[in-house]
Amino acid sequence: MIVTTRRTFLASVLASASLPSLTWAAAGSPSHLTAARDASGDYALYGLTEDGAIRFRVPLPDRGHAAAAHPTAPEAVAFARRPGRFALVIDCADGTVLHRLDSPDGMHFYGHGVFSLDGQTLFTTENHIATGEGRIGIWDRAAGYKRLGDFPSHGIGPHEIARIPGQEVLVVANGGILTNPDEGRDKLNLETMQPNLALLDENGTLQTLAEVPRDIHQNSLRHIAVAPDGLVACALQWQGDVFDSPPLMALYRADTGLQFVDMPDDILRQMSGYAGSVALLNAGEGIALTSPVGGTLTLFDRDGQVQTQTRHADICGVGRASFGGLATDGAGRVFRIADGAATPIARHGLSFDNHLIPIG
Amino acid sequence: MLRALLLCLLPATAFAGVDEVIDQHILPGYDRFAAETNALADAAASTCDMAALAPAYGAAFDAWMGISHIQFGPIEEDGRVVAIAFWPDPKNRVGKALSRLIADADPIIDTAEGFAEVSAAAHGLFALERLLFDPQDNPDYACALTRAAARALADSADEMVAEWPAFADQMRTAGAPGNMRFLSNQEVLGAIYTSLMTGLEFTKDQRLGRPLGTFDRPRPTMAEARRSGRSLRNVVLSLEATRDLAFALSAQPAPDTALAYDQALEMANALEDPTFEGVADVSGRFRVEVLQHQVQTVVSVISDEIGLPMGLSAGFNALDGD
Repeated sequence: MIVTTRRTFLASVLASASLPSLTWAAAGSPSHLTAARDASGDYALYGLTEDGAIRFRVPLPDRGHAAAAHPTAPEAVAFARRPGRFALVIDCADGTVLHRLDSPDGMHFYGHGVFSLDGQTLFTTENHIATGEGRIGIWDRAAGYKRLGDFPSHGIGPHEIARIPGQEVLVVANGGILTNPDEGRDKLNLETMQPNLALLDENGTLQTLAEVPRDIHQNSLRHIAVAPDGLVACALQWQGDVFDSPPLMALYRADTGLQFVDMPDDILRQMSGYAGSVALLNAGEGIALTSPVGGTLTLFDRDGQVQTQTRHADICGVGRASFGGLATDGAGRVFRIADGAATPIARHGLSFDNHLIPIG
Repeated sequence: MLRALLLCLLPATAFAGVDEVIDQHILPGYDRFAAETNALADAAASTCDMAALAPAYGAAFDAWMGISHIQFGPIEEDGRVVAIAFWPDPKNRVGKALSRLIADADPIIDTAEGFAEVSAAAHGLFALERLLFDPQDNPDYACALTRAAARALADSADEMVAEWPAFADQMRTAGAPGNMRFLSNQEVLGAIYTSLMTGLEFTKDQRLGRPLGTFDRPRPTMAEARRSGRSLRNVVLSLEATRDLAFALSAQPAPDTALAYDQALEMANALEDPTFEGVADVSGRFRVEVLQHQVQTVVSVISDEIGLPMGLSAGFNALDGD
């Protein structure tokens, strides 16, 4: 048993940016984070509850993309839209910006990040611009988010990064697409791109690299959801002819590797070659895959069998919730996913951005 | 500038386009599609002479072109849109799905329930086009397949006609308590506007863009419905249909839009190249490119003259692409 003396306790309080006793309850107990644009064109980070209500709003200087939620403290890291150069650490209890993270010279962020199991380290997906090599940035929370360094993502264009819940294992979606901020979002290597899914420990040591098969190497593996048992669901974006797209979801398991699910012609064609976000749902509800381009929400079982597909214009954000999942769209709607169906439960005067991040 | 400012000051009720779109454009369009597809199914039931079915097929396809751009409503259910029109089809899934059925003389097509299980690629207007306009090795089976596909198409049209009034009510009562589909009139207008713009983009990028291919590699065999000689006709009909929708949607006169459409239709009607075979030579290609450019002009003009004043633009996430 470790006895914390008054002196060491105070030292730890002073070393951390916020009081350690503060939890997400101090921010109104939101269940999810998402960025959005409001009717006047301003951008902000929002905390949502499972019934679709807004618990907090913190202004952002520009369009957001995703956010990383600290596992226990009411602290979120909001990332600028790719290719972003900054991220903001926000105290969601009082709305203050605690820290601003600037990508080091010669690097930029890809818009996603995740905390380590102990919550003391933030990992961010980054591009080393000169070489195009994907990197994972390491930031020390206890030291005020000081940059500690970076390690390879083991691919080009690392996009979403997640962690297996309860484990010190990072999962990185290396989308494979080379970009250079000098050329905006132009894709520079479509003929040779090779996306993969990389599993790393928190020191950056590669455990597994699962590549997208060569015959569909233009299927960019960009977004992921990870379950405590290590199942990874991957959402892909096809860079070839959208009317000839291969399946846009793959499942990774340690024993079977990366396996693309079977998607019937009619289901696939409605997605216009583009899956925007994916969630592994709770309460036995399987997997949800969104396509804002096709305007579809497709529900699968845990083995990747299609259950239903429904149309919802500009739907994108999706994340697990206690009853199954929640989804958001560009028209401010929040959907409850339960019992194999998505039902709108709230509507705000907002355009919710691409991703909906579960807290905790 | 002054005009734009004045339009912004008008109350939202000035934009009464929803009723016009439903009553003058959508519902009559679906009625016509159901009537023509039923006529085709009836004709197919009475003859196996494929050439004799061509006029009814053409009328059904014409009717589809009147509504093919409407992407909301009952068409969103059950993958109907894919089962009606499986195109573009760069990997020849329609041909492969039909070949599989024909090679096995698969009896699954003998019942409506069985045919519903068959790949969407073997359904709808493009499967029927192959059956009617390509030579068939097994004419008896091809006739049975034609009957099944025509009947399923007509049934799908009938179902949508039956379902549309309830959906139209949701559009008209946007924002009313319990209406979770449309929470504001603006959202309904947004859905209509997205369909209008997507329909035009489809004509530009697919109906014209597919056969154009690249300068080094034109692809005339990728033209839509070339077997039935309808490629250019579909472009003309889609322009006319989206023009009809644009005028029904807009609460204000839209003279720039009218002019842009007039010019596009004039160019299309002057092409005299029904299946875009001309894209293989420089001068023919140039004329199709000019038409494609004019369709883009229509898109831009609508955005300025109709979308902007009504506060409408395309999707937030759909256009972000990340």
